[in-house]
Amino acid sequence: MMIDRIIGAAALLLAAVYLYATAQIPTLEIGDPLGPKAFPILLGIVLIAAAILLFSETLKADPVTVEKPPAESRRHLWLIGGVTAWTALYFGLFDRAGYLVATVVYLLAMTAVFNPGKWVANVLTTVLWAVGSYVLFVKILGVSLPAGLLSF
Amino acid sequence: MDTLGHILNGFNVALMPINLWYTFLGCFMGTIIGILPGIGPAAGIGLLIPITFGMDPTSALIMMAGIYYGAMYGGSTTSILINTPGEASSVMTALDGYQMAKNGRAGAALAVSAIGSFLAGTFGVVALTLLAVPLAAIALKFGPAEYFCLMLFALAAVSSLTGKSAAKGVVSTVLGLMVATIGIDLQSGQPRYTMGVPELQDGVGFLVVVVGMFAIGEVFSNLEEHIKGKAEIIRLSGKLWLTREEWRRSVMPIIRGGLIGFFKGVLPGAGATIATMLSYTVEKHVSKTPEKFGTGMIEGVAGPEAANNAATCGAMVPLLTLGIPGSGATAVLMGAFIMYGIQPGPLLFEKRPDLVWGLVDSMYIGNIMLLILNLPLIGLFVRILYIPTGILLSLILAISAIGVYSINGNTLELQMALMFGVVGYLFRKIDIPLAPMVLALVLGGIMEQSFRQAMTISGADPRVFVGSVICVTLLILTVVMVLLPVVLPRLRALKAGPEDLDS
Repeated sequence: MMIDRIIGAAALLLAAVYLYATAQIPTLEIGDPLGPKAFPILLGIVLIAAAILLFSETLKADPVTVEKPPAESRRHLWLIGGVTAWTALYFGLFDRAGYLVATVVYLLAMTAVFNPGKWVANVLTTVLWAVGSYVLFVKILGVSLPAGLLSF
Repeated sequence: MDTLGHILNGFNVALMPINLWYTFLGCFMGTIIGILPGIGPAAGIGLLIPITFGMDPTSALIMMAGIYYGAMYGGSTTSILINTPGEASSVMTALDGYQMAKNGRAGAALAVSAIGSFLAGTFGVVALTLLAVPLAAIALKFGPAEYFCLMLFALAAVSSLTGKSAAKGVVSTVLGLMVATIGIDLQSGQPRYTMGVPELQDGVGFLVVVVGMFAIGEVFSNLEEHIKGKAEIIRLSGKLWLTREEWRRSVMPIIRGGLIGFFKGVLPGAGATIATMLSYTVEKHVSKTPEKFGTGMIEGVAGPEAANNAATCGAMVPLLTLGIPGSGATAVLMGAFIMYGIQPGPLLFEKRPDLVWGLVDSMYIGNIMLLILNLPLIGLFVRILYIPTGILLSLILAISAIGVYSINGNTLELQMALMFGVVGYLFRKIDIPLAPMVLALVLGGIMEQSFRQAMTISGADPRVFVGSVICVTLLILTVVMVLLPVVLPRLRALKAGPEDLDS
């Protein structure tokens, strides 16, 4: 139940930051009587109430919760962290490298990690997917995707 | 008889070749999304919205709705064949469906879920047709204060019913409402919480959040599952039909499941998942051999499958008549409506009867299409399960990129979607439900506006929210909803009944 206390604390912190940011909104004496602050202030208060409710729930709950083996969950943390970083890089270079180049590189690495050892299938799907989706979206559906490096 | 004319005219709209095509396309993609593990109806609709840009709104919405109820049909397939429910609403199906498949009755399990889904789905559309008109008429009388109370009730119901902890549900709801306040305030023109980022002036894009939390977040969770080990796929064997005995045993569960599903679907927060649990519990109670449940009882497949399809129709009732979705998937559907500049609600029945009834009537046709897709053609769809998970999940991430980028051509939104993906992944880990947040995000803007309008009308007197019978009733219901998870376990502890499944 440790995690629920952390959630409660995070919610309190967020409520504080949000209420502070709300206080920074300049008010003008026009428009409706409430102005842009009233509703957000209400939200901040409800979040604080929810955090208190959460704390009270953790007090009631029985403490016999078994913690997961830390070694495995740390490995998962690395995995998800790695995928997040790799995806962030993909999204970051989406414009400059262009959809085709970025997607091929991104998918090759992803499939190499998560579908290991099946090189032929991975390369084939990646290339067919990238080209196929580009043609489908850009040429047929008229959705704009960046051409990037291949724009000549 | 004006209404009857509109309903019949809806068939003219729904039967137009172009709309038949989009109904089919929606049902087809819905079935695939239902079958694919790791992508639910909410993510599916969110990812496919960009495809429909430039389409006629009626056709686009017909397709979106098709994806929504189509996913419910497809969801049962993975439950039965690989014991991994594609959606939360198929968890109950897996209990007996997978056992039936192991006993060599996979064909019968798939058949009963397709037939049950069809019967209950069609019943659901009929009930939707009948209920929509009077409800929309009542909703027309609602002022801003009533609307605010109604939304408060919907959010309270969803927060307290979707997760294990009501407090976490409320946290999720408030987060959604807070995200909704980002951007320029419509009434005062004041930017709020934009931190000087120009892209945030229009607010956080709805699809950014949906694709992030439902698609990317779900893929992250699945990648983690994937490296732990994989499920074995049971080959489809036996005839795709029921024996006379199995059919006899399934009729009553389908009828009961359909009724439970529809009414649970209409209520906010309850939704398809709770309807399936309730249906399963009911079947177990009325059965002469309750101890056999979990070993491959066809009643345990027929009831919940009927319930979740009737529930999707039920969930369309508040969405169309009140403009208030009661679940994550319908919230995304409402987001799609709004993106096309259409505000669902009672006025829509007056302004665009062709759209409303074209959409509702297309669901009759879609149910027939789904029966065909899911019975004779299920063998083809099952092949999707043979796509290696590692490839599939990677592709979903690439599709997410297209979906988000195609809205504004903005890579900052891509990074924001990734951020929401990480948030969604963490929320799943720590048991914070996602549906309340998305629902709150969709309703947030309207909710604040009606709050302020009501206060403006009353001259900043908060008593306006207890000024009518409707308001007071809704507020009482809201309080009941919030207190329910606190009081209910204690009542149950007093009773100490054997309802082990009803958690």
